[in-house]
Amino acid sequence: MAGTNAPIECKGSILVLNQYYDDYITVAAFMIMGFVLVGAAVMMSRAIAPRAPGGLKDVAYESGIEPIGEGWNQSHIRYYIFALLFLIFAVEAIFLFPWALQLEYFDSIGMGVFALVEMLVFLVILFLGLIYAIRKGVLKWE
Amino acid sequence: MFPLDYHALLPEIILAVTVLVTLVVDLTTRKKYLVALTAMVGLFAAFVPVLTLAFCDSLEFCAAAGVDRVLFGGSYVVDGYALVFKGLFIFAAFIALLLSIGYLEADRYYEGEYYFLLIASALGAVVMASSRDFVSMIVALELVSGPAFLLAGWRKGDPRSNEAALKFFITGIIALSLLLFGVSLLYGLTGTIQFDQIAVASMAVADLPLFTLAVIFVLLGFGFKVSAVPFHFWTPDTYEGAPKPVTAWIAVGSKAAGFVGLLTVAYLAFPGVTEVWGPVMWVLALLSMTVGNIVAIKQTNVIRLLGYSSIAQAGFMLAPFGAAAASGADSLSQVFAATVTYLVIFVVMNLGAFAVVIIIGSRVGSYEFEDWAGLNRYAPGLAIMLAVFFMSLAGIPPLAGWFAKFAVFQATIGVGNWWGYSIAIAAALNAVIAFVYYAKVLKPAFFDPVPKGVDVEALEAAEIPAPIGFALALTAFGVIVLGVFPGVAANLGQYTAQVVAALGG
Repeated sequence: MAGTNAPIECKGSILVLNQYYDDYITVAAFMIMGFVLVGAAVMMSRAIAPRAPGGLKDVAYESGIEPIGEGWNQSHIRYYIFALLFLIFAVEAIFLFPWALQLEYFDSIGMGVFALVEMLVFLVILFLGLIYAIRKGVLKWE
Repeated sequence: MFPLDYHALLPEIILAVTVLVTLVVDLTTRKKYLVALTAMVGLFAAFVPVLTLAFCDSLEFCAAAGVDRVLFGGSYVVDGYALVFKGLFIFAAFIALLLSIGYLEADRYYEGEYYFLLIASALGAVVMASSRDFVSMIVALELVSGPAFLLAGWRKGDPRSNEAALKFFITGIIALSLLLFGVSLLYGLTGTIQFDQIAVASMAVADLPLFTLAVIFVLLGFGFKVSAVPFHFWTPDTYEGAPKPVTAWIAVGSKAAGFVGLLTVAYLAFPGVTEVWGPVMWVLALLSMTVGNIVAIKQTNVIRLLGYSSIAQAGFMLAPFGAAAASGADSLSQVFAATVTYLVIFVVMNLGAFAVVIIIGSRVGSYEFEDWAGLNRYAPGLAIMLAVFFMSLAGIPPLAGWFAKFAVFQATIGVGNWWGYSIAIAAALNAVIAFVYYAKVLKPAFFDPVPKGVDVEALEAAEIPAPIGFALALTAFGVIVLGVFPGVAANLGQYTAQVVAALGG
């Protein structure tokens, strides 16, 4: 990795920097290869494919079902609020799993109560968010 | 058992609890003034530990208790510098709250969540003052900005308010991405995000072009937040469109938070490489002062005028940064102190200016200053207050503004090189230009006759709502005290500069 411990000598840092730029060369190489490969594939198919325009070739899906109606579709704005509410629980879970794994360790160094209280504080804050949403009638589907 | 220094964290804890309690109070009652009251009590309560922490420093038994106020492995530090700004931010939020109370009732939009968001934004500013690494600083910065985006769009039905919020949001996000990009480069170069370690590690990589790029990205990210030219385009539209008390908070609280971030990053993370960022800041300072002032002359709307005036003031606060290029460790703490002094005075006088403008604007029903003609006939008290704050902004003694400018001149000239001299000359010229537009607002209010068709008796009879009147009194008191006893602000500046001086020694 490019990062090193704090004070680095000047010569060393040039080395670090060279590595840093080298990483970008890899990225650049990937990008160039990406363009070349896609370009080559497109050119190749253009060059060797037979052409027979008209007929079925003009429909939107050559071998699928014809689309019916408009491309735009309305979805209810409430879905977005449910997504937000889901986030409360998602965030809760993300923090709870590592916390649960480390709880025994915290207990072994005498910080078990501290860890428990801190997590309870976190849960109460998230829970308040849920209460707020319920009180504002977000969960009612009308 | 509990390994944290809770005393040091008490202001933040109290504010965080206040945020939650305002939400609960809002849910349980229809009397919205109770929510405002809760928020106010919370701000008061948060101010108490700031005081106890400040005086704890000088007390024997308290310091001897072995309380090291460096928390979370150096990422969060509660020192004199942090405490001065925590106090200042709580004060600013308190004034913004007082301005909001009457305004929101008259506006008939939602109230409860408003106070919740305002206190959340204040909490971000308070956290900002203590942040000593990039992660906590960016979290703090976003906690200041996030609620402010929402508050700017508070008047849902008003397209201008929507425009204000959207512009503010988009530029805020651009600033954040610039900042994050710079931070990622810095992390790659130095291997750390903590400021004191970056200060050491950056010496080795100072000559690399990539490092210059990283520093400039980080500082430009803050340039948006403090609305320095050429990143100021959002400022006038956002100020004009947002509800006026929110404008006061964005223009003062949020901006001061941006400046605190800039100060911390520039002087604590990059103190050894002033030759990299000094010239950039010099250019930003010059452009902000000049463009802000010249455009302000053409404004007819007082809020827009205050917007451009605040851009110009940002230029003044950036001037000491510009002078820091190629200066020694000693003068580094002097230029730091000058910016802090200006910032303290700026907060008090700009909040006062907004308070008086909001009162007059809502009474007359217009924020065009031509419509304020003859103000001193029907509201002499308000006219005098208007004069007090605008003369202070212009820098007329004995009002606080003069000392702010004096501190900047003193520090920039004191550096003793051409970076300092040149920016001091530019600042002096700009101070003269600024006088023109501040006087332009006062002229109709004092010397023009009352326009025909104005119901003078109704305007005379109108009363100032108590909360906003209190805010006006507080800030007016502050402006006069800071102007007559400039030592107060100067001492605060020197007190905070210890954090930089300690670095040099």
